[in-house]
Amino acid sequence: MQAVELLPRDITVPPMLRDNRGAAVSIRNVTRSFEGNRVLSNLDLDVRPGEFLSIVGKSGCGKSTLLRLIAGLDQPSSGEVRIDDRPATQAGDKLRIMFQEPRLLPWANVADNVAVGLRQGPDPQAVTEALASVQLADKAGVWPALLSGGQRQRAALARALVSHPSLLVLDEPLGALDALTRLTMQNLIRDMHAKAGFTAILVTHDVAEAVALSDRVIVLGQGGILHHVEILRVGPTQRGSAELAAIEAEILDAIFAA
Amino acid sequence: MSLTETLIAARSRRSPGLRGLLPRPDALLPYAVPAAILILWEIAGASGVISDTVMPRPSTILATAVQMTLSGELFTHLGVSALRALAGLVVGGGIGFILGVSNGVSRLSETLTDSTLQMVRNIPHLALIPLVILWFGIGEGAKLFLVALGVFFPIYLNTLHGIRNIDPQLIEMGRAYGMTPTQQFRRIVLPGALPSIFVGLRYGLGIMWLTLIVAETLSASSGLGYMAMKAREFMVLDVVVLSILLYAALGKLADSLTRALERRALKWSPAYAGR
Ligand SMILES: Nc1ncnc2c1ncn2[C@@H]1O[C@H](COP(=O)(O)OP(=O)(O)OP(=O)(O)O)[C@@H](O)[C@H]1O
Ligand SMILES: [Mg+2]
Repeated sequence: MQAVELLPRDITVPPMLRDNRGAAVSIRNVTRSFEGNRVLSNLDLDVRPGEFLSIVGKSGCGKSTLLRLIAGLDQPSSGEVRIDDRPATQAGDKLRIMFQEPRLLPWANVADNVAVGLRQGPDPQAVTEALASVQLADKAGVWPALLSGGQRQRAALARALVSHPSLLVLDEPLGALDALTRLTMQNLIRDMHAKAGFTAILVTHDVAEAVALSDRVIVLGQGGILHHVEILRVGPTQRGSAELAAIEAEILDAIFAA
Repeated sequence: MSLTETLIAARSRRSPGLRGLLPRPDALLPYAVPAAILILWEIAGASGVISDTVMPRPSTILATAVQMTLSGELFTHLGVSALRALAGLVVGGGIGFILGVSNGVSRLSETLTDSTLQMVRNIPHLALIPLVILWFGIGEGAKLFLVALGVFFPIYLNTLHGIRNIDPQLIEMGRAYGMTPTQQFRRIVLPGALPSIFVGLRYGLGIMWLTLIVAETLSASSGLGYMAMKAREFMVLDVVVLSILLYAALGKLADSLTRALERRALKWSPAYAGR
């Protein structure tokens, strides 16, 4: 069964069969230095509406820095990040971020934590729906301290998605979870992405995870993009298939060649 | 039924029935030692081992308490002291909280005031009594000033500490999720600093009573401290002991109220879960 195909790099994949709600991200000539140390230099990147993009690379290569620029939490030293043709800082609740830590408010119950994601006042129905979509409907009134690590991260996902964002950025959101919970969460994120059609940008150190989830993987290094891999999925993807393994190997080569 | 099964059945049958009728023994346990002391004390007094001129008996003190309650004298003094304590707590604690918050949130405010406050902190506030009496006489101002000053520092320091120790990752989350600075303060900073503020409040309450006793003993014309002073002058020992016991009871009451408040406000914290 031919489940995965590699495409030549310059072919644009048409915006999937999704309800086209994803935001377009355009990064133009972005440089970010910290005290003279250039972490990103003249970086260009376009993310298509609805695309699932993963960013991999060695530790310290600037993945989090790039993601923070996209999320508007940090400003480039030069260059520009635009989301749907407006500056990243003005994205408002179109843009949501998920961190490696759940970052739930310990003094608010799960439902109130999810409601943090709503800009325009409380909306119990939206919160209930978001919790149901991450299978936490029965935990609405529970303190975060009483949840497991995976449940906390699911609550954080519900908080990120309750406002129906058009762009979700994730910085190693599953890095602290055990392998089994991680697989479950990967499936959850992939299903949510397929259903809601937002654009997703994922930073991960797990190449298999990047390949399993993404439409495209980029390898970051030396201040720029070292490698692009497009992954076209036709039908259901099989984890551990020979095609995926080949792509993983290609990406790992690119990372270590740097 | 095997023997183990019988034992298990017996055990599970026994526990709920009796437990429901009697107060749980461990709930009474903290009162066992004070009760034993009272009984021994009464026996020692009644048998003449301890002379009534050295230490009046619990029954004598109780009789005095009843008599002073009926005459209304006790409540007058009690009310005056409680009012002073409360006023000092509100003024000192309020200023401490506000300064703690502003120094925790604003660099400028901290640079301006913190080193001055740290200097003043090293003066034991009771050492100011002679000066305070010169300034305010023996009026209410002197006592309010001393209590407020005493309560100020623990609340100021712990509020500041609580705000400084807020997880910066939560603040960043708040910012990323579009909270305004006011919302960040109300939803993240304040609840995050609350455990520490409660620690300050409980320290402050201890200092509040201590300061009030000293201030009322030195200069007052009403209040529990005054009542004790007057009784000492006329050698009415049971009133002296009664006022000391009342201070202890008031201190315990204030502490219990704070604890109850703390349990309610911090019920999200694993440290309070299930208590
Ligand atoms: N606020 C900052 N101030 C100074 N230097 C910084 C700052 N943020 C990041 N850096 C530097 O930028 C470089 C890239 O950091 P970044 O966190 O983006 O790496 P990363 O690719 O996310 O690494 P990891 O995989 O370990 O998370 C590092 O050398 C780091 O020291
Ligand atoms: Mg990182």
